[in-house]
Amino acid sequence: MAETKWGMVVDLDKCTGCQSCVVACQSENNIPINTEDIFNQRRAIEWIRIERYWEGEFPNVKARYVPVLCQHCDEAPCEPVCPVLATYHNDQGLNVQVYNRCIGTRFCANNCPYTVRFFNFWEPEWPDSLKNQLNPDVTVRSRGIMEKCTFCIQRIRRVSKNSKSGEKTNERDLNPACTNACATDALVFGNLNDPESKVSKARSKGEKRSYKMLEELGTEPNVIYLKKVEKGNKQENHVH
Amino acid sequence: MLTTSRRKFLGLLGGTAIGAVVFQACGVPEKELIIQAPFEMPEDLVTGIDNWYATSINTTPATDGVVVRVMEGRAKKIEGNIDHPINQGKHSPRAEATLQSLYNPDRISSPLVRIGPRGSGKWEQISWTDAIARVSEQISNIDDKSSILMANNRLSGHSQMILNNFTTSLGCKNLIYEPIESTNLRSAINHVFNQTQIPDFDIKNSKFLLSFGADFLESWVSPTKYSRDFGHFRQGGDVRGKMIHVSSRYSMTAANADEWIYVNPGTEGLLAMSIAYVIIRRKLGNQANIASLTNNGRFDMSEYSPGKVCNIISPYLTADQIVKIANEFIEHSPSLAIGGDSVGSHTNGFDSLSAIYSLNYLVNNIGKKGGVIYQPKPAMPELINNEIPGSFSEWEKVTTDMREGKINILLTSNIDPVYGLPGSLKVKEILSSENTVPLIVSFSGHMDDTTSMADLILPQGDPLEEWGTNIPDPGPGYQTLGFQQPVVRPFFESKGKHYGNKSFSDSLISISKTMDLDIKINSDSIKDLVKEDSKKLFDLNRGSVRAQNDKEFWVGVLQRGGWWDVKNMFKGKINKPPKFKNLPTPVFNDNAEYDFHLIPFVSNGISDGSGANLPWMQSLPDPISTATWSTWVEINLKDANKLDITEGDIIKITNQSGKSIEAIAYPNPASAPNTVCVPVGQGHTSMGRYAKNRGANVLSILDPSKDDNTGSLAWSATKVQIAKTGDWKKLPQMENELGDFPRDPERKVIKIDGDGEKNEHH
Repeated sequence: MAETKWGMVVDLDKCTGCQSCVVACQSENNIPINTEDIFNQRRAIEWIRIERYWEGEFPNVKARYVPVLCQHCDEAPCEPVCPVLATYHNDQGLNVQVYNRCIGTRFCANNCPYTVRFFNFWEPEWPDSLKNQLNPDVTVRSRGIMEKCTFCIQRIRRVSKNSKSGEKTNERDLNPACTNACATDALVFGNLNDPESKVSKARSKGEKRSYKMLEELGTEPNVIYLKKVEKGNKQENHVH
Repeated sequence: MLTTSRRKFLGLLGGTAIGAVVFQACGVPEKELIIQAPFEMPEDLVTGIDNWYATSINTTPATDGVVVRVMEGRAKKIEGNIDHPINQGKHSPRAEATLQSLYNPDRISSPLVRIGPRGSGKWEQISWTDAIARVSEQISNIDDKSSILMANNRLSGHSQMILNNFTTSLGCKNLIYEPIESTNLRSAINHVFNQTQIPDFDIKNSKFLLSFGADFLESWVSPTKYSRDFGHFRQGGDVRGKMIHVSSRYSMTAANADEWIYVNPGTEGLLAMSIAYVIIRRKLGNQANIASLTNNGRFDMSEYSPGKVCNIISPYLTADQIVKIANEFIEHSPSLAIGGDSVGSHTNGFDSLSAIYSLNYLVNNIGKKGGVIYQPKPAMPELINNEIPGSFSEWEKVTTDMREGKINILLTSNIDPVYGLPGSLKVKEILSSENTVPLIVSFSGHMDDTTSMADLILPQGDPLEEWGTNIPDPGPGYQTLGFQQPVVRPFFESKGKHYGNKSFSDSLISISKTMDLDIKINSDSIKDLVKEDSKKLFDLNRGSVRAQNDKEFWVGVLQRGGWWDVKNMFKGKINKPPKFKNLPTPVFNDNAEYDFHLIPFVSNGISDGSGANLPWMQSLPDPISTATWSTWVEINLKDANKLDITEGDIIKITNQSGKSIEAIAYPNPASAPNTVCVPVGQGHTSMGRYAKNRGANVLSILDPSKDDNTGSLAWSATKVQIAKTGDWKKLPQMENELGDFPRDPERKVIKIDGDGEKNEHH
């Protein structure tokens, strides 16, 4: 068994749908500005997004939220279809996108059942002053390139480099931006192969509620969801 | 420069994509195909040095303690300050977007003087010396200083102290402006708890939360803190907390409740009184407090029996449901009742909120874990802001004074009354003429609708460039003083002649020095004042920062982002509750042709409009409609069917004065019949490229109805008519990206667990 396998637990009983994770990700990862036109073209880039589903009718109505991000699947459908191996699985369980290999066939996005891969149809643009905020640790993806959640690999790399040089690091340094922002701690990140990690503990604590998204597809995701708790609702509700 | 040799490069290539493709063609065994990206090549792993600085950001509505990542002199990322008592390592989307405020392409970069007609947008840059001299001279020239109005946002800490000293010494009027007033909330809290600061509502340790209209997870009072508490409320304790949300509009907070109770607009207080009736009638609850509330049983509560009021509250509510809620409120101890937002936005807002907060006395949770925790007296009492914001009626009076030429100078800072006050007050029209208000000075750093009407602009810097302190409101229940420091050098510094910003506080200090006005502050800048006053904290020799001397202490508080003393909590006496009083019926300007209740609401993106110039906030999907960058109107599905309205239809919403706005229709499964809900925040006529001329301003069509007790604007009391214009526009949304998968019952993306009694770690 590999020493490290990065993964995430998403507790739907804690997620409020506030979108702090979405903005934190955009800030950390140099996501281009999603303009009104881009939304209308359904080309908005959100590496992590909040899906909202309606259930029931007024007044017995319910809006349900689920954060959706790259599931870093062990059997990722996006990987075998890339003709240039721009997307592959690394030895730490990450589904990695190598931007300078990508030739933009979009086969991977087509094959991803979670719709978490995003294509840069245009060169990303920021006014000059806003470019000052861009994170120098993260490549700005150019036109024709596919991009997606990396679990903030730049933070993992930085922590690994710093710990090699003896610098003290903590769990927060390793967390992706979304996890650090999540006010309810609905998102927990870490090494699934380490039983002492926060993510492993969150997983075992919520074991009875745990499931993987669209697991029947056999993609073996490394994002584990914990079911929302609803008192007196023994039947799984149909969500539309 | 890379020093990779050709041999080494080819060696690495063997393990990369191209190598792998070539090997595959040759039928190489699978183990040979293990590929690694080249970004772990030691030569490539170049990371810059970053520094993280602690500071505080006062974003609407609360102050977050944050740490800011700075590389090469530029702020790159904001995260919550893990030490800060309020947000404890977490932060709101709005706090993150402060980076886009700092680097906003439309920030005002230097002092400006108007050279065209008012509102024409024609300006000339002037120096700071000139700007300060001009304002000082104009103020000095006014004999009657009470004809000068200083209007600003709610401040705290040293900036509040400087402002207070300035306005007092000068003898001018001072008025706080909030587009979504907290006047009723603060007045009700003062009335019920006899507290000037909002208490710490201990949601974290509560087991049963009854929320009346308070959208505490997205927009109410202190969303980051409450969200953090909510995570613990759900899955952090022994028993999963239960929450009921009562409101007329289905919000994100309502979506997170276990039960949502729809109530007719303005009847939340009635439900609270009915719950009280059940508890008192059954002789439950704290009897001493009940005796005070009911004036020893003399207050007649029979009018509030569930059977009598349930149909008034909601056609969908039964008397049994009210009894059940009352029982749960008593049984699930500790329980907590909070109220806010739309509850306070009716003509009976103050009375409704008073009734709601009084419920806490029935379960006697004041000062107790999971209940209402009062705030202690601050370590430096001179820094507290106990003022209740100026109510709408005060602003009505001020606009009348302006119209009559009684205001000679209007000084504004970080507020936008031209945008936010109801159109019926005609503020823009009044300010357009120099005959009404001869001089308008703005200290805002962004060209909002009010600043665009100014004659002189002395732009303040961004929160990430400035010094200050703040007492969080609400605080964590113990003494806390947040520190704010510049994390980067001012962005416009040294960019050219006249460029640069100056904090509002420093401008006031400079003006007072130029005028020779004694504002009882010996420092030349707010930085010096904060530094000097930090010695007072050091002298206390307690709290989160200890040091050998005041210099080390100063460094310590800046590193930690503030000072707090967890042991110093409220020590005063807890008062008896005030007597119940009969709840007035909410007043609407009823007219059969105007049959829709207009319910404005604050979305968690652009908030009350102050975030409309931030692209991250504009593009943040609303949690209910998932809409972005626009103004939409939520309408009941059956009403939409009846009126043949489908998503994207442009709807004209007209009030009884004939004033109207247009918005994109969003038929909403959770909207009640005969209500239309419209987000606040768009429809600016200025404020930069991301906000200008986008969507519509719902605040402009509000009736000037007021709360009878406080004069606060009843911003949910307007009735309107709606009509299709015949136009259509796509609603920019982020919805159903997972397409058809969830429709297949076998392929659900959200699964529900049926047992909410106990948390699973038991």
